[in-house]
Amino acid sequence: MSDRPVRLLVTDDLERSRLTVFFRLLLAIPHFFWLGVWTFGAFFSAIAQWFVTVLRGRPVPRLHEFHIGYIRYATHVGAYLALAANPFPGFLGAPGYPIDVEIASAERQGRLGALLRLLLALPALFMLVLISGGGPSGVGPYWVVSGGIVAAVAFLGWFASLVRGCMPRGLRNLAAYGLRYTAEVYAYVLLVTPVYPSTDPRLPAHAGAPPSHPVRLDVVDDRRRSRLTTFFRFFLLVPHLVWFSFWGVLALLIAVVQWFFTLVAGHPASPLHRFLAAWVRYQTHLFAFGFLIANPFPGFTGTPGYPVDLELPPPGRQRRLVTLFRLPLALPAFVVSGALGWLLYAAGIGGWFAALALGRMPSGLRDAGAHALRYSAQVNAYALLLTERYPFSGPPVEPSDDAPG
Amino acid sequence: MRRAERAAALLAFAVGAGAAVWALWPTDVPDDLELPPLGQADVASAAHIREAERFETFLRWDYVLAEVVVLLVLALYAWRGHRLARESAAGRIGTGMLLGMLGLGILWITQIPFGLAEIWWARRYDAAEVGYLEWLLGYWLGLAGQFGFICLALAIVMGFAQVLRDRWWVAGAPAFIALYVVFAWSLPWLIPDDRPVDDPALAAAAQRYAREQGTDPIPVRIEDVSAYTDSPNAFAAGMDASRKIFIWDTLLDGRFTDDEVHVVLAHEIAHHSREHIWKSVGWYALFAVPGTFLIALATRRRGTLREAQAVPVALFVFVALNLAAQPILNVVGRRMEAEADWVALETTDDPTAARGLFEQFTVVALADPSPPRWSTLLFDTHPTMLDRVRMAEAWRERSEGRSHP
Repeated sequence: MSDRPVRLLVTDDLERSRLTVFFRLLLAIPHFFWLGVWTFGAFFSAIAQWFVTVLRGRPVPRLHEFHIGYIRYATHVGAYLALAANPFPGFLGAPGYPIDVEIASAERQGRLGALLRLLLALPALFMLVLISGGGPSGVGPYWVVSGGIVAAVAFLGWFASLVRGCMPRGLRNLAAYGLRYTAEVYAYVLLVTPVYPSTDPRLPAHAGAPPSHPVRLDVVDDRRRSRLTTFFRFFLLVPHLVWFSFWGVLALLIAVVQWFFTLVAGHPASPLHRFLAAWVRYQTHLFAFGFLIANPFPGFTGTPGYPVDLELPPPGRQRRLVTLFRLPLALPAFVVSGALGWLLYAAGIGGWFAALALGRMPSGLRDAGAHALRYSAQVNAYALLLTERYPFSGPPVEPSDDAPG
Repeated sequence: MRRAERAAALLAFAVGAGAAVWALWPTDVPDDLELPPLGQADVASAAHIREAERFETFLRWDYVLAEVVVLLVLALYAWRGHRLARESAAGRIGTGMLLGMLGLGILWITQIPFGLAEIWWARRYDAAEVGYLEWLLGYWLGLAGQFGFICLALAIVMGFAQVLRDRWWVAGAPAFIALYVVFAWSLPWLIPDDRPVDDPALAAAAQRYAREQGTDPIPVRIEDVSAYTDSPNAFAAGMDASRKIFIWDTLLDGRFTDDEVHVVLAHEIAHHSREHIWKSVGWYALFAVPGTFLIALATRRRGTLREAQAVPVALFVFVALNLAAQPILNVVGRRMEAEADWVALETTDDPTAARGLFEQFTVVALADPSPPRWSTLLFDTHPTMLDRVRMAEAWRERSEGRSHP
């Protein structure tokens, strides 16, 4: 991770002022205006930087610093809007904001890579659009991010912050991931760095490790992908989709019965729990296969042993009140899961091309898709009464000896 | 500022202000005009008067209470609001913008009940069509404009204060006057939902009246408001090349005769032909200079507007001064409106239509023909309906005297 050109720094303490959260979108108005002005400048200076880099093989340091400041400032504004940070950001992109990016200094870049930079960036920009869930709009590139994951985080975080006076760490970390990826894409496009953006979701350790969760995704996949099955992946899904639909209807009916049982008994019925667990596991295998997070054609029974597999808890006691309101409680999680679904699509589409070309799934795409799958499995497990533990949306963190922030 | 300098500045201002008032005060309404002794009963039936009084009394007190709350809230914000600077990671000016926006935001919250009460009351009397949620949404969106404006204003003022310290008002007052001119000039383009007038007779009348009043033709536009309100209205906007007249479609829905509408048209043209908007700039300048000086004085203990913590105090003083100046500005407004009425009478030669128009306002717009004196002093920018009817009759008497010497 230390070789990432854009390092995310998280010193945010999760505390949020209810007053500024309430008016957050309006308070950002002067920043929209200033970001637009800065974007205008960055656009034309990027063109100049492109010419210089292609000719000299090295970007102009002054413009490099200008673009770094722009990316940093836009990250601050994005973090402010997405409620990933609390204080009103400065207008100069000065370091020290609670969600900040550290970008390496100017370095030599291959002339050919610089010449074809925009073309090479297309997949990353496409990924960004898919992650964002919308097309370019608004006053600057960071507005692109606001259509999908980050917007979902901001939307839910707004309510959570108003009620609790603090931002849930999972949502904050998810927004931080989206912001870091955006910063990496624009650092690449603006010739700040020759390193290709990575969708790897792992955050620095000081962002705070995810809490332990009874629903865990085990990934033993070796990233090797058969070009043949990759090419026909969609069609290979057909029998599974039919089977998944039938099983899904049955699972829904069983879930209703399980709900009544759990309300009365205070714990789920073991046979029904096993049935639903198999369905959730099968769904994970199926989506892993369909989106190229794993390679082998999955079985139809959700039996453990797949390269991307799910650990599920045994049936245990569950509070009746939480069970009663399980579906409304799960609604925010469904919203986030829907947003993360775009990440899965992005991984699958990008992975399809990469796997055909390379015979391997890039680790960033695989891990990003795995994160989306893990969260989806946790949401389904929660909704289907396999566990009472609420899903955690935050991405994993890098291992570190230091205590998390 | 030394005493001699202060005295010289005061003298210069007094002389300038005196000259400005001498230039701006006169109107076309004859100084020796004697208004006939008409009463409310001559304007409308007792039932209509009672209804109009009931309607306006509630709104009057709603407004008074709202203004009291405004002052109290802003006083509290001036005392404690600087603590919200901890919510900012921006520099001085950025933090000042944040404090300004938060002040408006807090004010917005406290005004919601009064706004909803006003809508409820207007709906009771069928004077408003807008729903509560629709109104709230529009009120929220209006806040975005206010936030943008206050950011611009504070950027200017605090920018000057960084250089000029407590003499920022010397440059700030002209800057605000210039902003006022820009806003007044561009207002016609900010009006949504307008269309060209489709009545050839009305368009021809507009041309004729402009010619008779000695000014170039002024475009007339219809503003579609009938989805939100039943109240009739028209106004003049813009300056020089941007001059326009806007007539609400509620004035053209058959409740007023063509002649009465023509009186309105002539009245609005008179605002342009008598340069009332330019004169408003002059009056604004007369208040802007001492007003900005007083704000500078009041914020001195908080470090002047060089420091963000002075912004809450500045906000309070600004609003308090505006309220204090309102009675004087209302006198100016009433004089200009009276002049427009007089010029309209001179142009249309139709005091019967003018009287009919004002009497119909009592019925249709529930305008109290003779509100309490204190209300007129504090709130009314137009002469009372009774006074307007009396002017129409006074004009009739004069014109009969002219034609029968």
